[in-house]
Amino acid sequence: MSVTAPLAKATSAQNRSRFGVLSLRPHIRWGGAIGWAWVALVLLFIYAPTLVIVGASVDPGKYLANRAFLQFPPHGFTLHWYVSIPPSLWKSVWISFELAAAVAVGAVIVGVPAALGLVRAKFRGRSIAAGIFRTPLQIPFIVTGIAFLQTLQWLDGTLGLRLQSSFSGLYLAHLFVATPYVISAAGSAIAQLSPRLDEAAASLGATRWRTLWRVTLPLILPGIFAGAMFAFLVSFTDVTIAVFLVPDDMTTFPVWVYSSIQNDLDSSLPALSTLVFLFSIAAIILLQRVVGLEKVLRGSGARG
Amino acid sequence: MRFRWGLLLLPPLALFLILLGFSQFVFLQSSLHEDLGIGRLGEAFTLSNYAELWQDRSYLDSLFLTLRLSALGVLVTLFLSWPVAYRLSRATPRTSTLILTAIVASSFVTLPLKALGLTILFAAEGPLMQALRALHLVDAEFRFLGSSFAVEVGYVHLAVTFEIMMLFSVLQAIPVKLEEAAAIHGASRFRVMWRVIIPLSLPGTVSASLVLFNLLSGAFVSAVLLGGGKILTLPVLIDRTLVLYSDYGMAATLAMLLLALIVTANIAAVFVASRFNRTGELVT
Repeated sequence: MSVTAPLAKATSAQNRSRFGVLSLRPHIRWGGAIGWAWVALVLLFIYAPTLVIVGASVDPGKYLANRAFLQFPPHGFTLHWYVSIPPSLWKSVWISFELAAAVAVGAVIVGVPAALGLVRAKFRGRSIAAGIFRTPLQIPFIVTGIAFLQTLQWLDGTLGLRLQSSFSGLYLAHLFVATPYVISAAGSAIAQLSPRLDEAAASLGATRWRTLWRVTLPLILPGIFAGAMFAFLVSFTDVTIAVFLVPDDMTTFPVWVYSSIQNDLDSSLPALSTLVFLFSIAAIILLQRVVGLEKVLRGSGARG
Repeated sequence: MRFRWGLLLLPPLALFLILLGFSQFVFLQSSLHEDLGIGRLGEAFTLSNYAELWQDRSYLDSLFLTLRLSALGVLVTLFLSWPVAYRLSRATPRTSTLILTAIVASSFVTLPLKALGLTILFAAEGPLMQALRALHLVDAEFRFLGSSFAVEVGYVHLAVTFEIMMLFSVLQAIPVKLEEAAAIHGASRFRVMWRVIIPLSLPGTVSASLVLFNLLSGAFVSAVLLGGGKILTLPVLIDRTLVLYSDYGMAATLAMLLLALIVTANIAAVFVASRFNRTGELVT
């Protein structure tokens, strides 16, 4: 595989430099070449459906209305579908983006104080509090979706509100499932900080708030960004919760994709999806350049 | 003066308790009312919904199907992703970051699109299916969409990215020096793997598999779209009960059944993990 060849070389170069002539590492390392081949196969599996969609986006046949003709590889090449994306679909992407960005910001506002409290406060029942913050990840999304739907209906009925099928209802549900990611990522960043940093700041005369603002928060920023990214990701790709709570006039992109697959496919769906994917990659590369994802990927798992 | 970090915790905790408590309470109590049709619930408390779980065979079938598909999905995912996570945990930081970033990037593609991609990939006239038929791995009548194989592929596809991320953080916490030490003392590669890496990674692997089981038993989009309405796992059944029949009481009851399955699996896994921990200590 062309992708992994340079990677394998880079590792073996590292092995040689560290161990010189002895080169112990290649011996004990589990299958250098086999290992990388496995990585390449799994990556291919992960990306296969996305590549198929990218392929379909340049297929000239307007076959999508009839699912029987869906096929990979594509029959030809055209950029026609990229030009003819209806504005209503762009709007759904924009709604998803706004929702996910708002959820990410909200999750940081709720999650960072929670993480600070969970890691630094010493009190009985801390593990119970941590458990409560983890529950949204353990409850299946479909259960959360229905539970919020029924709760919002009930609140509307008793209090005369209009939360069901409103942006706020969907926002609250997404905030509920997205915040744990921020808590977990920021929490592991905070746990790695040395308490001496706080002591040093205090001995130089900084107040608690100043220490928090000028020392702690800048240091845990990569963790916060990573948590925010996962919060964004959860909201931006969610179908299962949104399908029950989404307002009629504000269909999010994933819900629109979900219902159009079940009903009537628009021929420009693969083109739009490809663009959304490319934007996501650009955003991740940007995030990587600005904060450096590796600190975070090393610190904690995606779902801690 | 000591800073009260606990005070920072209070507002988020209150918000979570309200969201969690409210939704689960409204939910639990709607499972205790009879469905009167068109989304209306009876006034009186009753356990009739729960009784129906036992009487109607299809609900229990759905529970076992969910359990079976999720457990198999966990095993296959573990088989695929453990070597990847191990290889990446022993690669240079640059390389592993690059590949992990690529894996994260793939999860920005929403699930229905991946399901659509898989459907196209496995289309009856497509090259992949032609190859599978030529190798006699599938027979001529086999249709991907609507088969439990399709749902399983969707499950594994959904789970593999999560699993690699989780196992990576487990495996990279195991120092390479331990492997080197074992090798210097004459342990073969298999022995290093079997006696050092696997025992040390076992607790983390078990808890990652548990998260995976939770994820898969609640997986909805893959099961609906790839199962084509024929593979009735609990999440699919819950959706149908609610959307097609508007039986809120029964939908809530089925959701409780799904939660019970997950809670049971969690308790069982905590029990198993604590035993593994004990033996893990003996090994190290």
